[in-house]
Amino acid sequence: MGSLELIVEKHTERIHHGLEVLPTLKHGLPAGLGNKRWTGELILATYEQALTGELPMNGLEYKTGNSGGGFDVLGWKSHDGVAKVDEDQVDLSISLNKRGEGKKIEIPLPIYGGGMSFGSISLNFMIARARAAKKLETYTSTGEGGYPDQIVPYRDHVITQVATGMFGVREETIQYAPIVEFKYAQGAKPGLGGHLLADKVTSEVAKMRESSMFTSLYSPFPFHSVYSVEDHKKHVDWIKTVNPRALISVKVSTPTDVDMVAIGSYYAGANIIHIDGGYGGTGAAPEIAKKNIAMPVEYAIPKVHEYLVSEGVRDKITLIASGGIRTADDVAKAIALGADGCVVATAEAVAVGCTHCGNCERGRGCQVGITTTDPELSQFIDPAWGEKRIVNLFNAWSKRLRIILAEFGLASVRELRGRKDLLVRYK
Amino acid sequence: MDLQASESSGVGRTYSCDTSEIALTGQSIIDSRKRLPTPDSPFVKQGAEGGCGVVGLACNIPLEGKYLLQSLVQMRNRGNGKGGGIAALGLVPEQLGVTEKILREDYILQVAYLDQSSRKQVEDERIRPFFLVDHESKVEAVDDYRSISGLEVEPPEVYRYFVRVKAEVLDDFAKKCNLSSMKRNELEDEFVYQNSYLLDHQYYSSLGEKKAFVVSHGKNLIVLKLVGYGDDVVKYYRLEDFKAHVWIGHHRYPTKGRVWHPGGAHPFVGLHEALVHNGDFANYHSIVEYLAQRNIHPLFLTDTEVSVLLFDLVSRIYKYPLEYLIEALAPTTERDFEMLPEQKKEIYGLIQTSHIHGSPDGPWFFIVARNDVEKNAWQLLGITDTSMLRPQVFALQEGPVKIGIIASERQAINAVLGRLQEDGRIPSRFADSYWNARGGSHTDGGAFLFTVRDGDHGKELECADKFGRAITLPEQDWLHGPRTDLALNVSVALQMPRKGSQAQDPLGFYEYVRPALRDAGFQYAGEILEELKRLALKGQESRRFAIQSLSLLFDRIYDTGYKKRSSLLQLYHEALNEVFSSVPVSNYDVYTRLDWRNRSRLAHPGLESQVLVVDALEFPVDGDESAARFVVDAHNQGWENILLYNLRGHRFIGSGLGPRTNSLKIDCYGDVGDYVASGIDGCELTIHGAAQDQAGQILKFGKLVVHGDVGQAFMYAAKGGDVYVLGNAAGRPLINAVGRPRVVINGTCLDYLAESFMAGDPYNGGGFVVVNGLKPSFDGRFIEQEYPYPGGNLFSLASGGAIFIRDPHRKVSSDQLNGGRLADFTLKDWELIRPYLEENAKVFGISVEKDLLTVDRRLLDPSQAYRKIEPISLQELA
Repeated sequence: MGSLELIVEKHTERIHHGLEVLPTLKHGLPAGLGNKRWTGELILATYEQALTGELPMNGLEYKTGNSGGGFDVLGWKSHDGVAKVDEDQVDLSISLNKRGEGKKIEIPLPIYGGGMSFGSISLNFMIARARAAKKLETYTSTGEGGYPDQIVPYRDHVITQVATGMFGVREETIQYAPIVEFKYAQGAKPGLGGHLLADKVTSEVAKMRESSMFTSLYSPFPFHSVYSVEDHKKHVDWIKTVNPRALISVKVSTPTDVDMVAIGSYYAGANIIHIDGGYGGTGAAPEIAKKNIAMPVEYAIPKVHEYLVSEGVRDKITLIASGGIRTADDVAKAIALGADGCVVATAEAVAVGCTHCGNCERGRGCQVGITTTDPELSQFIDPAWGEKRIVNLFNAWSKRLRIILAEFGLASVRELRGRKDLLVRYK
Repeated sequence: MDLQASESSGVGRTYSCDTSEIALTGQSIIDSRKRLPTPDSPFVKQGAEGGCGVVGLACNIPLEGKYLLQSLVQMRNRGNGKGGGIAALGLVPEQLGVTEKILREDYILQVAYLDQSSRKQVEDERIRPFFLVDHESKVEAVDDYRSISGLEVEPPEVYRYFVRVKAEVLDDFAKKCNLSSMKRNELEDEFVYQNSYLLDHQYYSSLGEKKAFVVSHGKNLIVLKLVGYGDDVVKYYRLEDFKAHVWIGHHRYPTKGRVWHPGGAHPFVGLHEALVHNGDFANYHSIVEYLAQRNIHPLFLTDTEVSVLLFDLVSRIYKYPLEYLIEALAPTTERDFEMLPEQKKEIYGLIQTSHIHGSPDGPWFFIVARNDVEKNAWQLLGITDTSMLRPQVFALQEGPVKIGIIASERQAINAVLGRLQEDGRIPSRFADSYWNARGGSHTDGGAFLFTVRDGDHGKELECADKFGRAITLPEQDWLHGPRTDLALNVSVALQMPRKGSQAQDPLGFYEYVRPALRDAGFQYAGEILEELKRLALKGQESRRFAIQSLSLLFDRIYDTGYKKRSSLLQLYHEALNEVFSSVPVSNYDVYTRLDWRNRSRLAHPGLESQVLVVDALEFPVDGDESAARFVVDAHNQGWENILLYNLRGHRFIGSGLGPRTNSLKIDCYGDVGDYVASGIDGCELTIHGAAQDQAGQILKFGKLVVHGDVGQAFMYAAKGGDVYVLGNAAGRPLINAVGRPRVVINGTCLDYLAESFMAGDPYNGGGFVVVNGLKPSFDGRFIEQEYPYPGGNLFSLASGGAIFIRDPHRKVSSDQLNGGRLADFTLKDWELIRPYLEENAKVFGISVEKDLLTVDRRLLDPSQAYRKIEPISLQELA
């Protein structure tokens, strides 16, 4: 065994050990873990769920954070007097294609993985996500950084993202995909495009994107070929010419006219409208942008949902929310506000050891091998291990979702949609 | 500051009057509107709206509405059937049942009654008391709207009143509004305007249930609109044979779902102008506030309405000449501003200071039809925004009639011309000239105006840019029709190559006939074509020879003498189509043909190197059964040579073929639509003509040859490919390209060429772009354009690759760059690009020595002719 392998093995072992032990420590939280939104306790609870596949039994808070706003001030109404249904009978599946045409796609839980590119994250983490998506019979997204050969075996569960830089987008990557996701904006940094700093553009990343090594890469903030909804329609028509079977997802941030964007996307052929709020994003998104541009997603969801209802097309399009969905309770709240389901990315990173240290943009900043492309660090995540952790996390979330629904007497997660009346706001 | 326009020529030339008087009356008009009621919430847009499909035409003779139809049908994807409209300007009195005098002097008030029962009340309250009605009628429409397929909402009944304001009413109005010093005709204009506002306010905007609204009220101008497509308007209101000198057709794409009446559809009117719009504003709120400060309030709450209100304010109240009006809407900025002459800088600076808050921000393109009543001139104006974010193409053709066209797509222009040509009204389905405007620029100002006015021989059509510089065509002959079948001239037949070297060599044949094509007449060209058509029927090899020879005649640039190239193109186009159509459907020929009706007969090719000829005419332009998908199916069946003809805006040709298509060849004849050659990976695609917007997106590998211009966002995020473009690229080519694209553009580009270019090390397998800055002259030479690259942001923030620009006069300056660097052009660079220039010579006949390196009859060293722009390491990228 060479010295590199030894180093990797040593670190991997310690990371695994730490993830097991940390949630059980009796001396209070480790210093410097998390922040107000992703509290230390929430992170530890996520580690715990990723380890066991069960909801934490040791008293760790696993439902909400402590940000003083957003989902953290929304709670569940009392369900006293409601006839409970059997948790095992609760159906968590949602449909990703509600149009009368094209391939019917259902996922057994109202969650799929968000786009994180090869380059922004390590290949091993990407494979782990893809394997988990296959196991869970849901999806993950390539993000904008190309389609590594190693995830081709999972292609029936991988969404190809077409984003403004179109890095690594080729006809075959569009043809692999059951769903193509147009990324117009990212909630964490709307209007700023994408950026991958020079540090992380290693030779592998540069090769995948066909760019120069160690030069920062920017994706423009708009598609230069799309400046209107009719351009977008044409853009969709193009992708559908390349892959007529693909479902279309349109990912946008939450501007004040997001309802108009949603209806426009529907008429331009979208199966999924994906609204991405500002609480998400890795440490690579600029602090000044996060949470500070566009509308909070908890306002955007009902705005879009209700507008689609009033226009009479709500049952023909799937509304997906994302951007800071940390827990099963967040998922349920987003659905109660009007979404069909959620896209999750950061929580998956936490499942494999993210501590929210915020060093994601640096080449060797991530000490647990998630947001790095460094040949050494990126080996810290074994894909099989990562797969197990992510699957466990979502199994635990599913249990929690079943509990919430059962208590309100709802037999299906589809019945929760738009039930704002089940939410209360804490003062 | 005296706002008098330059006396030079063109747009603003006749403007001259005391500006202080204008300011005074302008202010009184604005003050007079204070007493008008205001709407509840003008700051909330009724619905977002995206791009649209637009076409406008102006002609020195009145043309029937049917000529818009095909063009609008071919752009249906740009609308969604929830709003269509037309404007017609410069009408024919007989067809309206009025005298010429009435048509010239009366306002044509057209009211749409959404609620039929409101008509009497509207007439009694807002029409009869104030107007002398010289003529009135219900606008003719088909009996049952459902007979027009796809029309789901019954269009409103429209009544047309030819009116003048009663003298006493006008006196009273002048007194009440303190406008007594105003000219009588201007006073009357304002009365009509305010009366329509009151009508709309009372019967439209203030009501939950809308009852009626004014569709148009200008002189010699009508607007009609409905919930549907623009072409539905022509059909529903029976305008196929209705004649006008100026037409606009429009499809709207409102994003709101339920639309039950056409109040929001374009065109909107100011007074004597109708405006359609493609795009949307980011600053609707700010513009509404700007207008509110001038007592102007939108009632229909769309971007388009505020656009025309702005237009009317600046033109009718402030009386700006067109040049300044355009500047107020689309300001000249950045380097372009610096490039203006000092006097213009001063005036434009003042205009911008006063109007920037009312200047629409965002992607937009306006087409305006305007009656300049005083001069009895009818105008068609196209203005693009400063950033050129919406597609636009202009065209001009001169023949027995002179016609100018503006549209979202070139294929839409050709569709209008095609219909006119088929009816024998014009000699060719090709314009003499096509061009794009460069928004907010010092070169053309981003706007062009076609004006129909009285001349020495009836009506004349003129074309000028924002600065009033005339766009002219050389005086050449066009093809006179109708043509009779030509008897084969024996001498020509003898000259035709039979067997031997030339028979196998179309290029040799082309070079042989080329000198004669300059000096001889259309008759000679016709005879050559007859002979080629005959050859095409003789055998398989001679058919190949005929097709290749005809393609060369069609594609190449050469001196056509006194004959218009557009007329020759028409002849070649017809000959090619005839040859293609004569290809048998049988599968046992080197060439085999399929069309929409026979598409199910698609099978494996029977012979190696067999060519599949596809008549694209009836294939859908997009979707699962489109021509593009048919090409994919054919390739999957094993076809390696596919030739498409009769393309009419078919989109996505070349897409969907998947990876590694190295031995596939595709040839496109006709008008290809957007996104041609996008994603190709290995194949060779040749476009015999121009490409449109979004050509070559993510192009991976292979060869693309375009015998014409390409549109906007060319080769966006391309990964590779060897690409040759005969003409210009519009805005934003090669943005975010990576890998190894190697591109020769023989014309130029408008702006943002190769922004964020990341194509590695050009000497080491990376990519580059060569810009030659040439254009074909009317006598068939390649001459230098005024600027090899006129815009800004050249190679901005690029981190790889290089630009090689032919710039012997050193006109490109570093202030056009943004993060790149002008560097010495070395021998190494020449060795790098030379093979591509030689291939360029082969495909277009642009000689490296004679056309590229010779300047002022002097052979230059490549380092004198070319310059290099290379990336520099930027802190932003480190």
